[in-house]
Amino acid sequence: MNALLRRAGRLAVVLAVVTLITFLLVAALPGDVALDIAGADATEQEVAEIRAEIGLDRSLAVRYLDWVSGIVTGDWGQSWRTGERVWDAIAQRVPASLELMVLAQIIAVSLAIPAALLCARAPDGRVDRAIGFLAFGSVSMPSFMTAVLLILLFSLTLGWLPATGYEPLSAGLWENLRPMILPALSLALVEWTALMRTLRAEMIGVLQENYIALARAKGMSDRRILVVHALRPSSFSMITLLGLQVGRLMGGSIIIEQIFGIPGVGRLLVTSVFSRDFMMIQGCVTFFALAYVLANFCTDLAYARLDPRVRGLGGKAGAHG
Amino acid sequence: MSLLEVENARVAFPTARGLLTAVDGVSLSVDEGRVLGIVGESGSGKSVLSRAIMGLLPRSARTGEAMRIRLGGRELGALPERELRRLRGREMAMIFQDPMTALNPVMTLGDQIGESLRLHLGMGRRQARDRSVELLAAVGLPQPATRVDQHPHQLSGGMRQRVAIAIALACDPRLLIADEPTTALDVTVQHGILDLLQAQSRERGMAMILITHDLGVVAGRADEVAVMYAGRVVEQAPTRALFAAASMPYTRGLLASIPRIEDAPGRRLEAIGGRPPDLVSPPAGCAFSPRCAHASDLCRRQAPGLEDGGATRFACWHPALEAAE
Amino acid sequence: MADVAAPMPAAVEDRHAEAIAAHRRRRRLGPMFWIPAAWLVVLILAAAAAPWLGLAPPDEIDWMAIQAPPGVENHILGTDVLGRDILSRVLHGARVSLTVGFAAPAIGVGIGLALGLAAGYFRGWVDEVVGILIDAWLAIPGLAVLLLFSAVFGGSLSMVCLSLGLLFIPAAARITRAQTLSYANREFVLAARAMGASDARILLREVLPNIVWPLMAFVMIDIPIAIVVEGALSFLGLSVKAPTPSWGGMIAEGREHIEDSSWISLIPTAVMFVTVLSFNLAGDVIRRRFADTREAAL
Repeated sequence: MNALLRRAGRLAVVLAVVTLITFLLVAALPGDVALDIAGADATEQEVAEIRAEIGLDRSLAVRYLDWVSGIVTGDWGQSWRTGERVWDAIAQRVPASLELMVLAQIIAVSLAIPAALLCARAPDGRVDRAIGFLAFGSVSMPSFMTAVLLILLFSLTLGWLPATGYEPLSAGLWENLRPMILPALSLALVEWTALMRTLRAEMIGVLQENYIALARAKGMSDRRILVVHALRPSSFSMITLLGLQVGRLMGGSIIIEQIFGIPGVGRLLVTSVFSRDFMMIQGCVTFFALAYVLANFCTDLAYARLDPRVRGLGGKAGAHG
Repeated sequence: MSLLEVENARVAFPTARGLLTAVDGVSLSVDEGRVLGIVGESGSGKSVLSRAIMGLLPRSARTGEAMRIRLGGRELGALPERELRRLRGREMAMIFQDPMTALNPVMTLGDQIGESLRLHLGMGRRQARDRSVELLAAVGLPQPATRVDQHPHQLSGGMRQRVAIAIALACDPRLLIADEPTTALDVTVQHGILDLLQAQSRERGMAMILITHDLGVVAGRADEVAVMYAGRVVEQAPTRALFAAASMPYTRGLLASIPRIEDAPGRRLEAIGGRPPDLVSPPAGCAFSPRCAHASDLCRRQAPGLEDGGATRFACWHPALEAAE
Repeated sequence: MADVAAPMPAAVEDRHAEAIAAHRRRRRLGPMFWIPAAWLVVLILAAAAAPWLGLAPPDEIDWMAIQAPPGVENHILGTDVLGRDILSRVLHGARVSLTVGFAAPAIGVGIGLALGLAAGYFRGWVDEVVGILIDAWLAIPGLAVLLLFSAVFGGSLSMVCLSLGLLFIPAAARITRAQTLSYANREFVLAARAMGASDARILLREVLPNIVWPLMAFVMIDIPIAIVVEGALSFLGLSVKAPTPSWGGMIAEGREHIEDSSWISLIPTAVMFVTVLSFNLAGDVIRRRFADTREAAL
C-alpha cells in the first residue's frame, strides 16, 4: 500500500513537470496572440484590452498556476482561435485516435506472436534468420513511408481501400473499419518487430525451463508446448513493452492521422501547432502524457493478471504450503 | 523379453572444444514391474541416458547409429515423432530433479495433470478434473479438491514433487524414470517422496528407473543397481549383491561415502579423490584409472570391457573379489 | 529419435576441425556487414562531395524537364514537379539526414551521460530529480516535443539536431546510471576514493572509461532512429526550411503526384529505406561481435 502511494506521488510530480515543460515551451512560441486576434489594423489600446481579457498580461507563474489548477478541476481552458473548449475538442477526437492505436497494437501483436513462436522453435535456424531479416526491413521502414507505399498499392493501384477519411462507428462496423486498416497497418508494421524480438528472446529462455521438458515428457506436441505452456510465461516483457510503446505509438499516430486525414488528437495537435493555438497545444500534450501514464498503469494491472505469482501478492492467497 | 531394452546407447554433444561424449555405449534392461537404480556422479551420463530413453535429447545431440532402445518390444528410434509422443506420458513418464522449476508457474495443478489425461486417454474436462483430484489424493497432497485449482508457487518443494509424481502417474505408465527425484529437497521430506514412489510402483506394477548420485537412496528400494562412470556402466548387480560385495574400486568408493547410522558421530566420510574425467578428451584406458588406487599400466593403456558374468557385471582389470581387502 | 538427433561422425579429428571452423565463422564479419557498410561509405562520400559532382544544383529548375522520369538525359533519376534534379536533391538531402543522424545521438548521449553519471554516482536527491525529469520526458510523445521545438525555435539544421538529440537523453541516462551504479562500488573505485581522489577525477578516470563502450553500442542503434525521426519531421514540413532538400520533404512533395509520377516519392523512399536498413544491419553485426568478444574476455 505504501509502495502504491509512493508511486502515485511520483506520478503526480512527473505530470507536474510535464505540464511545466509544456507550458514553458508554449510560452516561448514566437508571435503575439493578442495581436493575432485583434488583427493587423487594431490600435494598441485594443490589443492591450484583448491581452488583459485572455489573461496574457499576468506573470508566467500566475498563468501557469491558473492553467494547472484548471486542469485539476476539469477546466482545460478555451481555444483563443476557435473558441472551442479544449477538453471538448480533445474528447471529441479521442475515439478516432484510440481506435487507430488499439487496432495498430492488435495487428502488431497478432504479427509478433506467430513470428516469435516460429523463431523460438529453432533459434538461428532458417526460419528464424528469415524472420529476423524481415524484421530488420520492417523496422527500417518508418510509418510515414509505409503509409505512402500502402496507399500507392491498396488505394491507388488496387483500389481496395480508401486512402483517406474517417467514419464513426455509428456508420456501421465495416464502414468504420475500412478506412482504418491502412493507417493501423502503417503503425503496426513498425511496432511488431520490437514485440517479436522481445517475445522471441524471452521464449527461447522459457523453452530451456524444466517445466517445458516435463511437458515434452508428458507427450505434448511442439505446437501445444509453444502455445499453451511457453507463451504465457514468456509474454511478461512483451506486455511491459506494449505499455511503453504507447508513447511511441502516440508519436506515430500524430503523423499517420495527418497523412490519412483521421480526426484524432494527433491531428488536432499538428493543426494547433501550425495555427499557434496555445491553449489547444498545451491541452493536447498534457492529454498525451496522461494517456501514457495511464497506459503504463494498465500494463501493470494486466501483468498481475497474467502472472499468478504477482496476483497472489496483496490478495488473500499468499504463498504457503 | 524385458519391458525396456537399451542397447549400445551413445550420445555426444558438439562443444566449442570438440565432441563431448556423454553416454558411451550403455546397454541395460528393465523387466516389467522391477526397479533399476542408476547411480553415478554428476556428469556420469545418467541424466542424458534417461533423456535418450524418453527421446527428449536436445536438437544438438548426436546419437550413435548402433543405438537401439526398445519399449515393450517396439524400437523407439524407428518410430515417427507422432507415435513417440503417444508413448511419452502414457507408457513411459518422467520425474525431474528440481520440483521448484519443473511445474509451469502459470498453469493450475489440475490443468497440468488433466492435460495428459485429456490428450492420452481422451477424457473430458470434468472427468479429467475429478481424476486429477484423485491423483493428488493418491500422492498424499492434503486438501486435493482445493489444491487442484492452485498454482505451483502456493506449494512447498516437497508438495510440488508430489504433484510432479501425480502428473507422471496420471496415465498409469508402464515405466517411470525418476531423475534425482529427491536431490533438491529437504532431507526431512526425501524419505516420504522415495517411499511414495516405491509404494506406487509396487501398487501399479510399474517398472521404475531411479536415478541418483547417492547409493543410499537405492538401498532397499531398487532390485538392481547400475553404476555409471564417465558415460559407461562400470558395474551392475542385484542390489543386495552389490552392497555385500562391490567389485569395482569406484563402486567401493561410493559405498564408503554413504553415511551409516552406526557410524560414530564426527567420523569422516571417505570421499573419492580427484575429479571426474574430461569427456571431450577422456583419458586413455580405464576412465577411472587417474583416480584409482589400484590402477596398473594395463588400466592406463586399455579400457576394460563390461564382463558378462550372469547377475553381476563389472568393468575392471583388478576387481576386488569377495571383499578381499 | 532419428529426426531429433543427427548421427555421430565417425572420425575423431572432425572434432577439432569443427571447433576451428565454428571459431572462424564467428570471427568473419560477413556480407551482412560489408554490403551495408559499402552502401553507407558510398553514400557518405557522395553526400560530402555532392556540390562538386557536376550535378545540377538541388534547387535549379529545368524548364525543359518537368516531372521527367528516371533515365532522361542529364537527369539520371529524373526530376520532380518543379523540374529539379532528383539525384542532386537526394544527395543534398543525405547531407541533412546524415548530419542529423550523427549529431543528434551524439548530443543526446552526451547530455544523458552527464545526467546518468551524476544520478548513479551521487545517488540521493540528484538521482531522484534526474529520475523524475526522465519520466516526465518519456511521458511526452517525442514527435509532440519536436513539433513544439520546431515551432518555437524554427527550422535551422542545428536546431533540428539539438531538439532531436533531446529525445535520446532518457535511454542514455538510464543506461549510464545503471552502469555507474555497478561500477561505483567496485574495488578500484573504492581504492581511488580511499586515496583521496576527487569525485570529478573518479568519474572521469575510473568510471567513465568503463561505461563508454556499452554507450557506443547504444549510439549505433540511435543513428538510424535519428534519421527516421528527421524524415518524419521533414515529411510534416517541420525540419530544415525549403528550399534545402530533405528526404522526408521530398517524399511528402511527391505524394500528391504519386499516381502518375511515382518516382518522385519512391526514389527518396528507397534511398532512405536502404540507408536506415544498412545502419541497422551493420550495427547489429558489430553489436553481436562486441558481445562475443566480451563473453570471450570473461
